Amino acid sequence: MFQVIPPRPAPAGAAGAAAWVRRNLFSTPVNGLVTLATGGLLLWAVGSLVTWSLFDASWGQVWANLKLLAVFRYPADLLWRPLTVLAVVMLLLGATAGAARQDEILRGAFWWVSGFVALVALVAVLAWSSVRVPWAIAGAAPFLGYLLGRARPEVLRALPWAWALSLPLGFFLLYGVVPGSGLLRIAPAREWGGFMLTLILFSAIVPSFPLGIALALGRRSRLPAIKLFCIGFIEVVRGAPLIMWLFMASLLLPLFLNTDPNNLPAIARAYVMITLFSAAYMAENVRGGLQSVRRGQTEAARALGLSGWQTTRLIVLPQALRAVIPAIVGQAIGVFKDTSLVFVVGLTDFYRVTETIATQPESLLITGGVKLELYLFISVVYFFFSYRMSVASRQLEKRLGVGTR
Amino acid sequence: MTTTPAPSPVRADAPPGGERIIEIEGLNKWFGDFHVLRDIHMSVNKGEVVVVIGPSGSGKSTLIRCINHLEEHQQGRIVVDGIVLTDDVRNIDQIRRETGMVFQSFNLFPHLTVLENITLAPIRVRKWRKSQAEERARFFLEKVGIPEQALKFPGQLSGGQQQRVAIARALTMGPKVMLFDEPTSALDPEVIGEVLEVMVNLAKEGMTMIVVTHEMGFAREVGDRVVFMDAGHIVEVGTPEHFFTAPREERTKGFLSKIL
Repeated sequence: MFQVIPPRPAPAGAAGAAAWVRRNLFSTPVNGLVTLATGGLLLWAVGSLVTWSLFDASWGQVWANLKLLAVFRYPADLLWRPLTVLAVVMLLLGATAGAARQDEILRGAFWWVSGFVALVALVAVLAWSSVRVPWAIAGAAPFLGYLLGRARPEVLRALPWAWALSLPLGFFLLYGVVPGSGLLRIAPAREWGGFMLTLILFSAIVPSFPLGIALALGRRSRLPAIKLFCIGFIEVVRGAPLIMWLFMASLLLPLFLNTDPNNLPAIARAYVMITLFSAAYMAENVRGGLQSVRRGQTEAARALGLSGWQTTRLIVLPQALRAVIPAIVGQAIGVFKDTSLVFVVGLTDFYRVTETIATQPESLLITGGVKLELYLFISVVYFFFSYRMSVASRQLEKRLGVGTR
Repeated sequence: MTTTPAPSPVRADAPPGGERIIEIEGLNKWFGDFHVLRDIHMSVNKGEVVVVIGPSGSGKSTLIRCINHLEEHQQGRIVVDGIVLTDDVRNIDQIRRETGMVFQSFNLFPHLTVLENITLAPIRVRKWRKSQAEERARFFLEKVGIPEQALKFPGQLSGGQQQRVAIARALTMGPKVMLFDEPTSALDPEVIGEVLEVMVNLAKEGMTMIVVTHEMGFAREVGDRVVFMDAGHIVEVGTPEHFFTAPREERTKGFLSKIL
């Protein structure tokens, strides 16, 4: 006669931490030796890094030059402007995370970024009297935004527009309005730099997104002229390294636009180039997504009488983009770090500032210089953001079931 | 030199007296060099249920996919409800609004809920108000027996439920003809019955249907006419009774002996 067999606990030694260690680290004598050797090596390396950074490193020059690292030569009395942009962006991020707070991935990313901003704001309020107020506002903005989004989730519908608007408005505010003096005077682009410039150039991923989608769709077009143009663009751009395109941009773009190179700030040239470069890669990512949508989807939509464009917009693209979100985040990580290449066209981004600081007289007085300290500092900041993006990418993959298929 | 006269094709004409809703004259289609449909003549009356059977690769799916222009034909004339099918996009969309189609693999939109799947086309194509579309959608969900699944996503449903949603989706557009392309072939055996039941009810209500299927029970029970196709030809046409008791052609007999 049939009877249900009750579950029993696994035999001893098959579960628990000790069992895991035995199975994975010390399963054979050779494995045990390898574990001990690599463990020792790791301990020694990490140990010496920690000892060095605690006792031997001279962090004074990093601390003294945080303004250069953050914004380079952006006028000190106008720092409220980038900080206002930061506050607005953080407000929007907070509102987005608050309105869509059932989205754990978005919420996790939000706490990470706003925690970073709040920490810097805390330091600013304590130590940097000249930017105390704008930093305090920027530090509080994400949390205010979060509360706003949570109280009024209907703002979610207006947020895409707010985000889209924040980009040009941000540039406008950073650049200024009137020449001469005053609060809204123009801050010449050659004075921009540091982490601010890195973030500005990173934002090129935003315009590259619709451009990439357009290129991917164009590549599948039935009109030969559009198709050829898109294929040509994508393949040519992908066919050369970014560093070469940046050189090209500084030399060729003014030529194409028939203008003196000085009329077009190097930042604008680099921005355009990074946008186009990223768009070509984006297009290939999106194309992968488009190919993953089964043909039956299009057929079903067409059979219902939807037009070709409606089918693309309502059926194919939503599925295609969902499938390639992890790849797009991966690309964002790449662009974030690739922006450091802009030093070749004379821009001083986060990475390049280290060079400026390392050659200051005060730095040269220090035995051994301060390059190591500077590199370590910017690595930690790069890592802080890149790692978080990769965590988000993995979470997205898990949610979409991409990794498990 | 004498040329052999072209063999005269078998015609699958609807019985006289009815109101013709589909007319296919001299339809020919090639996939590249492959002649997949050969001189197809077929017509369907309003309210008729025509079952198309035949071995795989015989062109039966391609035939019904030509009717709503999911496949392009190279020769012949197709008329649906008085509209002559041309290459004009507006003309094609007009015909697609009048014909509902149910696919073997359901082809529900996985990123939309059941309700959104059904209301998408009525709202975007027929320009109905959302409330009106949802009301109609719920009516048809009730009809196919799964009103409680309206807010779920297709991935959360069983195959039989998905196919019933697909039928409701097609019906909500208010089509004059329903095309079924092997609607039960991808289903687990235990859920085939629930889909067939919906189709039987639909037939009883007088819907015009062309059904490509291997379900001989369905053909026998609700088919007005059975069309047997092989290698791109219409081989034999008749009532289910004729078909399953006294088929004339050797090919038909061979096919039926394999599947019955």
